[in-house]
Amino acid sequence: MAPTILNPSTLPSDDNVNPYAFCIELRQPWFLRKGAMIAYYGQASFEGLAQTSLSAMVAARFSSPLYAQQWVVAQGVGKVVIGDRGYDINSYDLDAGNLTIRAANLLGFETGLELKQSIVPGFLTLVGTGKFLASSNGPVIFAEPPMRVDPEALLGWADCPSPSHHYDTGWMQGFLGSMAHAVLGVQSGEERQFDFTGAGTILFQSTEVPRPDPAYLAQLESQVTGLGVPGLQRLQTVIGQRLAAEQQH
Amino acid sequence: MAQFRMNGARVLEAHLAGDAVRALTGSMVAYEGNVQFKNAGMGGGGGFKAALKRKMTGESLELMEMAGHGVVYLASEGMEVELVQLTGDTLSVESSALLAIGPNLRTDVAFAGLRGAASGQGLFTTTVSGHGELAVLSDGPMIALEVSPAYPLVVDPDAFIAHRGQLNQTFVTDVSWKSLIGEGGGEAYSLRFDGSGVVYIQPAER
Repeated sequence: MAPTILNPSTLPSDDNVNPYAFCIELRQPWFLRKGAMIAYYGQASFEGLAQTSLSAMVAARFSSPLYAQQWVVAQGVGKVVIGDRGYDINSYDLDAGNLTIRAANLLGFETGLELKQSIVPGFLTLVGTGKFLASSNGPVIFAEPPMRVDPEALLGWADCPSPSHHYDTGWMQGFLGSMAHAVLGVQSGEERQFDFTGAGTILFQSTEVPRPDPAYLAQLESQVTGLGVPGLQRLQTVIGQRLAAEQQH
Repeated sequence: MAQFRMNGARVLEAHLAGDAVRALTGSMVAYEGNVQFKNAGMGGGGGFKAALKRKMTGESLELMEMAGHGVVYLASEGMEVELVQLTGDTLSVESSALLAIGPNLRTDVAFAGLRGAASGQGLFTTTVSGHGELAVLSDGPMIALEVSPAYPLVVDPDAFIAHRGQLNQTFVTDVSWKSLIGEGGGEAYSLRFDGSGVVYIQPAER
């Protein structure tokens, strides 16, 4: 019953230790999310993206100012064990491809890949060739478009499906009806889905426990600038209502 | 002699044969037979001196004593349980990770490092020593990592569960570590182990 005792030579090389922990054999630099590392052997150093000596490589590969605060560069030689909230961890290999993934679930990637912010808020796109690590709540489910996914369960998508919002037909009828009668505040819960069409793969998980993402907040904040006084006042009432509803729970 | 047996990965069966076993307060999910439960007293039954140390250091340990004949089923928050055998050696363990301690084992508080004087909490650790078996909680399957003079180990304190053997534990507060702490907080230091022994970690941060 007792777990096998592992050391640097018996730890797997770029493979899972168990479904919830992964061991990176550090030979070349890796980008890692802060807090993803749970233990390491060897001569490894972790530097903030602003402090690293590899600044030219970072500027070329990490093209997301929003997330720069939350990531570090690991370099040196050693074995690094990665864990994330006890979630399942999987490694993926991209070969001259692209994949978009929920930012909260991306744990690390090789510098052969380039990171970009997706147009969909809270998602990051990886382009190029290399390995990356992502966590999921339960095993990852792969599916092909056309399909609709609950926004909470969506983990990411690869190749070229086209994501859009989908609103339930019944809900839309109700919404249009209420518009005609100028009633506000139609809400049921499952009326909104993500709709995928085109060729590619969609990744989803059983459920996502939302985790505070400061970058997502920053992104929302930056979008508030163009609103003007009436827009801001409207937003204030909406936020006030949401706060009151949250406090009732 | 009381015995521990696993029932799946998350439930521990404590088979009592007229003797007493200590377990995390509130971890009993069911029991059969004739078993009495009582508070193990101030400081988890480690004796008066250990109790005093707990009071002073804030290293809390909430244990109950279970005595009698029967089987007690123990579990905590769906966490995985691992059995650890001690043969005269000492296990230093996060007090929150202790589920049950066999009858012949002693618990105490040890001073874990110099930095404790300034920053306080959590730098004192609970030690379990003697001959016998104890059950430790792990959020996800526990990982055991060997430390030898040739390869020291650095661990995230939020993932650390326990260590045993001839280990020297130091607190690392270097720049490299600080850059790893996210905005959501996390510990301001990492744990570095030198010497020879085994360190147990869990794949989730507390």
